[in-house]
Amino acid sequence: MEKFKIKRVFSDDIGRNNPVFAQVLGICSTLAVTNVLKNTVVMCVGLIFTTSLSNFTVSLMRNYIPARVRMMVETLIIASYVIIVDIVLKAYFPDISRQLGPYVGLIITNCIIMGRTEAFALSNPPGLSFLDGIASGFGYSYVLLIIAVVREILGSGTIWGIRIVGDWWTNWSIMVMAPGAFFVLALFIWVVKGQISEEGEKK
Amino acid sequence: MSGKQVFKKRLFPILFMLAVTLVFISVTTAIYTFTEEKIKINEKLVQKRAVLSAAGVSYPDDPAEIDTLYHRVVQEITDESGEALYYEVAESEYYSGNAYVIITTGSGLWGDITIAVGVDENVNTLTGIEIIDQNETPGLGGRITESWFTEQFRGKKGPLNSVPEGEATSEQQIQAITGATYSTAALRSIVNATLEDARGRIKS
Repeated sequence: MEKFKIKRVFSDDIGRNNPVFAQVLGICSTLAVTNVLKNTVVMCVGLIFTTSLSNFTVSLMRNYIPARVRMMVETLIIASYVIIVDIVLKAYFPDISRQLGPYVGLIITNCIIMGRTEAFALSNPPGLSFLDGIASGFGYSYVLLIIAVVREILGSGTIWGIRIVGDWWTNWSIMVMAPGAFFVLALFIWVVKGQISEEGEKK
Repeated sequence: MSGKQVFKKRLFPILFMLAVTLVFISVTTAIYTFTEEKIKINEKLVQKRAVLSAAGVSYPDDPAEIDTLYHRVVQEITDESGEALYYEVAESEYYSGNAYVIITTGSGLWGDITIAVGVDENVNTLTGIEIIDQNETPGLGGRITESWFTEQFRGKKGPLNSVPEGEATSEQQIQAITGATYSTAALRSIVNATLEDARGRIKS
C-alpha cells in the first residue's frame, strides 16, 4: 500500500499531474530563471529543498493547525525555509547568490509550494508529504531545465556558460527575455500534452 | 458560547500563531546570527576585489591574499562622518602610478547599479570599472558584469559615448551591448557623472 502510494506520488508529479505543464503553476519563476542554465539549477535545488521541508513540517503539524489560520502558518513555514536558503547561499555561495539576486526570495511566492502544502501535506503523513515535495520539486525542475537548455543555446549560444556553437551563430535576444520563455514553455506543453492525451486514447 | 468554545475558536488560533511565529523566527534568527560574520566578510571581499580591479591591479584568487594585498596598497579616505569618499591605491609592482577609486550608485533599468570607478593620478583617465551590484536582465543587461565589457573602460577618457558592438575606436567611445542599450546607457551616465564629480572629491 505504502509503496503504491509513493510510486503514485512520483508518477503523478513527474507526468500526468506535473506542476508546470499540467497544473501550470510556478510560471513566474519558469519565465524568470530559465534564460541561463546555472541560475535554473540553483533555483531548482532551492525549490526542492523548500517544497519537501515545508510539506514535511506542515504535515507534522497538520493535526494541530487551526483550520482558519492554516494558510498563515503555511506561509510562515515556507518563508522561513526560503530565508534559510537565502542566508546559506549568501554565506557559502556568494557568487551564485549575487547572480540570482531577488529570485531566491521569490521562491516564497511559488504557487507549487503552497499548492502542495494545501492539497497534500494537510491530509497525508509527514514521510509521504516529504516525498511528495521532492517529487513536485523534480517535476518542476526537469521542465525548467529543458526550457533553460533550449533558451541558453538559442539566446546565448552557450550551455552552462560554455560556448557550444560557432561564431557564425547569431544570438536570439528574444530567447533571453521573458517572451522567449513563453514560446518555449508553450511548445513544451503542446508537445507533452499531445503525448499524454494520445496515451489516454489508446487505453 | 461556553468558555471552552471561546478558547477553541478565538484564543487558540491566536496563541497557536504566536507560538509558531516565535519558533520559526528564533530558528531563522539563530541561523542568521551564525552566518552574519561570514556574509559580511563576503560582501567586503566583493568590494575589495572591485576596488583593486578598478584601479587596474591584478589580484590573486585566494581571499586571504587579496586581504593582504588590499591592506598594503589601498588607503580608505573618509569624510568627517566616517563615510568612504574614495580609495587611494598606491603604486606597487602591480600598477605604476597612483590610482583613485570611487564607489558609486546610480539607476539602471530595473534597479540600482553599484560600481567602482578607477581613475589615474591626474583624475582624467579611467583605470577601469567594476560592477559591484546590479539587477539588470540576466543574459542581456546583466552582461555589464562580463569582463569583455568592463575591460574596455581602461584607458578611456570622459565624457564617454557608446557605439554599437565592435565599432569603438576613440578613447571616448565604448561599445554598447547589443540588446541592452538602456543598461549600457545607464552605466555610461553613472561613469560620466562619477568622472565629473571626481575632481572635486579627490583632493590631492
